[in-house]
Amino acid sequence: MKGKRIRIFQVGLLILNIFTVTAISGFISATTMLICRNYDAREFLSGVTAIPWDPRWKMWACIILLALLCVGFGLREKVFKTNMTAITTCLVGELLLAIVIVYLLNFNYNGILIMVFANMLAYVKERKAQTTLMVLAIVCIMLADYSLLSVGYRLYSIESYIAYYDAAAQRTLLGIYNVLISLNMAVFIMYCVDFIVTQRGTIDEVNALYEELEKVNEQIQEYAVMSEKMAETRERNRLAREIHDTLGHTLTGIAAGIDACIATIDVAPDMTKKQLEVISGVTRDGIKDIRRSVSELRPDALERFSLDYAISKMVTDMNAVSGAKVYFNCQVKNLKFDEDEENAIYRVIQEGITNAIRHGKAEKIWITMTKEGADICLQIKDNGVGSKEIKNGFGTKHMKERIGMLGGTVSFDGSNGFTVNARIPIRWGENYD
Amino acid sequence: MKKKQRIMILLVFLILAGASAVIAAKGRKKEIVLELGMFTGSNWDVESANCFVVIDKAIDAFEAGHPGVTIHYDSGILREDYSEWCARKLLKGEIPDVFMVLDTDFNQYCSLDVMKNLDEYMENDPEFDETRYFSTALDIGKNSGHQYALPYEVVPTLLFVNKSLLAKEGIEMPEQDWNWNDMYEICRKVTRDTDGDGILDQFGTYNYNWLNVVHTSGAQLFSDDFARANFACDEVYDALRFTRRIYELNQGQKVTQEDYNNGRVAFMPLTFAEYRTYKTYPYKIKKYTGFQWDCTTFPAGSSGGNTSEVDALLIGISRWTEHEQLAWEFLKQLTYENEMQMDIFRYSQGVSVLKDVTMSEEAAAIIQEDMDEGERVIDSRLLGAVIEDGIIAPHFQKYEQVINLADNEISKMMEENKSIESTIKIFQRSINSYLKQ
Repeated sequence: MKGKRIRIFQVGLLILNIFTVTAISGFISATTMLICRNYDAREFLSGVTAIPWDPRWKMWACIILLALLCVGFGLREKVFKTNMTAITTCLVGELLLAIVIVYLLNFNYNGILIMVFANMLAYVKERKAQTTLMVLAIVCIMLADYSLLSVGYRLYSIESYIAYYDAAAQRTLLGIYNVLISLNMAVFIMYCVDFIVTQRGTIDEVNALYEELEKVNEQIQEYAVMSEKMAETRERNRLAREIHDTLGHTLTGIAAGIDACIATIDVAPDMTKKQLEVISGVTRDGIKDIRRSVSELRPDALERFSLDYAISKMVTDMNAVSGAKVYFNCQVKNLKFDEDEENAIYRVIQEGITNAIRHGKAEKIWITMTKEGADICLQIKDNGVGSKEIKNGFGTKHMKERIGMLGGTVSFDGSNGFTVNARIPIRWGENYD
Repeated sequence: MKKKQRIMILLVFLILAGASAVIAAKGRKKEIVLELGMFTGSNWDVESANCFVVIDKAIDAFEAGHPGVTIHYDSGILREDYSEWCARKLLKGEIPDVFMVLDTDFNQYCSLDVMKNLDEYMENDPEFDETRYFSTALDIGKNSGHQYALPYEVVPTLLFVNKSLLAKEGIEMPEQDWNWNDMYEICRKVTRDTDGDGILDQFGTYNYNWLNVVHTSGAQLFSDDFARANFACDEVYDALRFTRRIYELNQGQKVTQEDYNNGRVAFMPLTFAEYRTYKTYPYKIKKYTGFQWDCTTFPAGSSGGNTSEVDALLIGISRWTEHEQLAWEFLKQLTYENEMQMDIFRYSQGVSVLKDVTMSEEAAAIIQEDMDEGERVIDSRLLGAVIEDGIIAPHFQKYEQVINLADNEISKMMEENKSIESTIKIFQRSINSYLKQ
């Protein structure tokens, strides 16, 4: 629809210009013949500053050039359509043709330049290029003005040909001449306004779409939060079920067994002993069940690989994924701990790296793991922005909780980059099996 | 698709190229025809029987020297129609390659830029030596320092002397370097009432006007750029004082052409063309038959020379000519060839524009040929000097108008006997404001 309207304007301009150029050159040619027939040539010459060489030839030249312009127009619209190189060549050719026509008409009419620039404008998409083109067009049209150029150069004027006729005819002819020029200008201005309005419309459309996209984004975020919560709830439910099914069941059994033992311990110590053995077996079964449950909650990498490998993989992934460089330095041999300890170490490192990248905007992160006595010391240090006060955010709180659960300590320092120091007591060799 | 497009573009171009080639081939005939624009008859308001002879001879010579080239001209255009004819040709874009330019049209054609600037041709042609021309004659074809046309024939203004009248009054033929006082003395002597009816019937001058006098006064009437008139100067005052003295001799009586034709006037300005025409057969039987006459120079003022106005017929080349070099060659044939320029003396009424031709003995012999025996012929050296020192009418559009205004003002001043200085000063002011318009 938009393209169609622009096309109508372009064709309108073309027809108008063909008519105007033919009319002007034809008028000059016809008037010349009339002057010669009336033997007024000498008198006419004394009133002009310049004459066109062979007006009839000029008329035909103008007509041929106009025909070529039409060919260019047709080629652009019907043959090339999207071939930008060919279209550019066509447009440059049309501009040259228009310049020759304006020159042939001795700058008495420069509207044809306006037409060519209007055509060019339709193909230019960039704002900057459009502005440049418009400025160029204005400069060109101003420079190709008769009243400006006739000061410095000898140019024939259509008005001196109009002046040959009697007063009434002069008024009519001048009127027609001016109307043609104004009409061309008016169509061009309408075209420009339409162009700007269309462009404005496009911008509005883009803005509306963008707003919609924002909304959808927000919704997606909400969905994400919601589904996270749902997953959490599901997980809690599962945990609750699990605890209820295994631990609850076992503990209930144990409690009941112990109650029985309390009742029988004085009466039948042997039976009580047997009973306690049974309770012990149930307790071990319970521990197994809990282990199974916990192992279902373990992170992927840890479940499948050793801690050593899992950390290395995480570091490699981080190096590959984020812009930060992570260095992992492990001075502890044989990284094989209990699952909860491995979990804690893995999660603390993960959390530390995430925090360093997300909050500290760190480029380098150093992870060091050393053994001090029975404890494992874990240091995560980065060269990020650090923080003056340690906010009790989710991440640090989480770390504290995890390590606290294992009886360890953790401290944070945000003065030079950000450093996390964790001390985790390890149950070496201790085994529940 | 791309290939198709390319083939299409190529096709369009081929068709266009073919069409233009056909048009070009049609326009270019095998034989080159050089158009010449000329008029029939003399440029100098005198009858001429041989107007085509000179041109036809030049054309024959040129065509013989340039095989394959034909010169074509339209015959039968009268001089009075020639300007209109040229204007029509100019408007239609059909102006001939080489064409005669009337002095009244020269400025206009320069401002319309329809003639080729000849400076380059003159400089680049090794055979061409512009010093062979009378510099005055060349100047006539110049506009703002550039040569746009070359002179073909030049005609100086001379002073007619009625020898019979002078002899009757016992006055000797004036010398060629005479001055205003000599002239005044002669005029004073001849101006009288011969039949005793109380009315003057013999006069000193006819048509000898203030401008003729100013030309011999050394005054320059306009500034070099023609933006200001320079009438208010001592030379002009002197000239006008002398004019008034001559005028007053006639005691307010108007001298007529009839007085002159009947041999009752001693001096009258006359062009060389008229001199040639009415001095030789067949036209000498038509005018000035009742007395013997001759021509001489104008009398000089105290700070001027024996100078007079020089006029020339110019030939230019069209700015749009397709055969520039041939047009230049032909222009040279017309204006620079010795034989051709000698023909001007043989068949035309003017003077050759080439100094060596004009001052040659052959030219003198041709002028002498048709004279009655015992007639004194204008010395060719003197003729050369008159042309070389001649004064040309300034080339600007308002010139004629200014001179007409001055004519009116000065004749009124003479009639009403007003003060020369104040009249001229007031006049100059109005002329300057007119020139500024």
